[in-house]
Amino acid sequence: MKTSKITTIILAIIFAGGFSVQLFAQKMTAREIIEKVYNRPEGDDQTSDLTMTLINKSGKERIRKIKQFTKEIGDMEKSIMFFLSPADVKNTSFMNWSYDDDNKNDDQWIYLPALKKTKRISSDSKSDFFMGSDFTYDDLGDRKLDDDTHKLLREETIDGVEYYVIESIPKDEDYMYTKTITWIRKDNFIGLKKEFFDEDEELLKILSIKKFEKISGFWVITNSEMKNIQKNHRTTMVLDNVQINTSISDSKFTERMMMRGM
Amino acid sequence: MKTKGLILVLLLVASQFSIAQNVDINGFARSYEGILYDNGDFGIIQQTLNLNFEKMGDKVAFKANPMLFLYNSDSLNFRMRELYLDLYFKNFDIRIGSQQVVWGKADGVFITDIVSPLNLTEFLLPDFDEIRKAVIATKIDYYLGNSTFEAIWIPTFTPTERPQPGSIWYVQPDFPAPPTWDLSKENITPSLENSEIFLKYTALTSDIDFEIMGAYTWDDNPTLHTEKQFALDTTTMQSKLVGLNITPQHHRLTIGGGSFSSEIKGVILRGEAAYYNGKYFLTEDPLELDGNVKKDYLHYLVGADFNIGSVKLSSQFIQQTILDYDENILNEKTENTMTFLARYDMLRETLHLELFSYIGLTNEDALIRPKVTYDFDDSFSILLGSNIFVGNSNGRFGQYKNNSMVYMKIKYSF
Repeated sequence: MKTSKITTIILAIIFAGGFSVQLFAQKMTAREIIEKVYNRPEGDDQTSDLTMTLINKSGKERIRKIKQFTKEIGDMEKSIMFFLSPADVKNTSFMNWSYDDDNKNDDQWIYLPALKKTKRISSDSKSDFFMGSDFTYDDLGDRKLDDDTHKLLREETIDGVEYYVIESIPKDEDYMYTKTITWIRKDNFIGLKKEFFDEDEELLKILSIKKFEKISGFWVITNSEMKNIQKNHRTTMVLDNVQINTSISDSKFTERMMMRGM
Repeated sequence: MKTKGLILVLLLVASQFSIAQNVDINGFARSYEGILYDNGDFGIIQQTLNLNFEKMGDKVAFKANPMLFLYNSDSLNFRMRELYLDLYFKNFDIRIGSQQVVWGKADGVFITDIVSPLNLTEFLLPDFDEIRKAVIATKIDYYLGNSTFEAIWIPTFTPTERPQPGSIWYVQPDFPAPPTWDLSKENITPSLENSEIFLKYTALTSDIDFEIMGAYTWDDNPTLHTEKQFALDTTTMQSKLVGLNITPQHHRLTIGGGSFSSEIKGVILRGEAAYYNGKYFLTEDPLELDGNVKKDYLHYLVGADFNIGSVKLSSQFIQQTILDYDENILNEKTENTMTFLARYDMLRETLHLELFSYIGLTNEDALIRPKVTYDFDDSFSILLGSNIFVGNSNGRFGQYKNNSMVYMKIKYSF
């Protein structure tokens, strides 16, 4: 998992904002469009409060609250999350270091306060669900541009907003999704919707962006929802108190802070 | 009774004070019952209220962790699991008070994890976060990047807590003659000279995490120094063993060791080892007049954590070896043990299936612990499990064959 991307509900629904692409739109390939999405500027560091609400098919809610910090340090991105609720995971913390080098796996640790122990954990559990939500660790992580083959299916106008509709098919045949389809706004390269298809190529989940804001000059997705169509449950993610470029100290991303807490 | 009433009053006052001072309060209430397969008796009837009072500032923090419990009786007991103060400085922290310290990379095995002694009154069955005892200590951590130098000074020795006669976990020692106990040397007077010192260097890096440790400590388990008493058998006109004077005494141990963990292709590899200098072992050597011999001892482990699909698996191989072994020592020269853990979470992490086992390879015995936990909501869960002891009755696990049980825990977290 790459937690910084949690803050923006990464999932390729991100976008590089700012400049008009209308003049170049016709010339762009699907890969170039996705590259614009993936390379959205995020700032050097970010702090936020994440509230994740798990809603089952009968409408019952379970809430998880997390405080998270992210920073680009050299050729890596470090992030740390402190779990605030529910009670049985309070003071648990999670740290992730991810690398620009595509060949290097993330390093991940979890601190369990009851065990008083920081444990290195495998970053190989990408299809596991994050805290029982509808987001897998990989949904929240940094998918590499060339992990998928991208194809521009069509262009659509919905409620007056123009979109590219891009299909992405994983090169790894064993990947948990057989394909994804993303609706990306032409004006600012924000993806507002993404569909995930299971191994039978049936629609499995839909990610919808409910709200995005410009904070300190950077686009941040602050409200999103992942809905499991087949099981009829969903998860919402809301970001509050987002702060960007506040010069977080490197020492925030250490075992000392995992154990001490915020 | 007055003491218990006072405890409750103090807790109530503490709670009110905590609310007023914005102290964070959390914890759990738990009901835990176990029924023995052997005779249907309730081997475990426990009601527990565990409270954490915590307050954290930029420069200072404190934690108090009182626990109230009724164990196999209606008599209220109280234990302060931890009570300490933290002082934070730029590059170092100091923790003073009653605290639990956890070292090493092993799970459920205690090799370099020797700072906090164990509470073995229920064998190895308590959750691993409840099996350690706090020590009254001063701990200093100095930080340098992702490295930590840790020094711990313990002026007051705390031994391992063992089951007492009457407990289903008490094992009656098998003496060849009636014993007489001399407890005059069992306690260690708190003093500078009798202090324990523990040092550790920890590094957490991209490729590997590791710890290097050293300790000048006391053996948490007392050595049973034995003086044999003989009398003349007038029938055979030969001397005959008629009694034993046993003097339990803790001895100094010097320990060095380390541990590591690293990820290779999605598998977490772990290792841990410690060299114990000068540990006593019981012997039948007639030349060892007090029944013990001093040897060095090696305890190590290798393990791996990995996933198959969504099933989390973990296994460890543990070996204990007595160096410069002689055949009169009662322990085996080498004892091999394995652990195995499988865990699967389902229904959006509300239903948890787990199987944990200790497998005694040397004695051909095992403790098998399957359990199912269902979270009704984020604060309320119910656990059904079983502790199954099998194998050789002389083994560490097989000796508790009659204590195999099914149990249930209902827990409310807040």
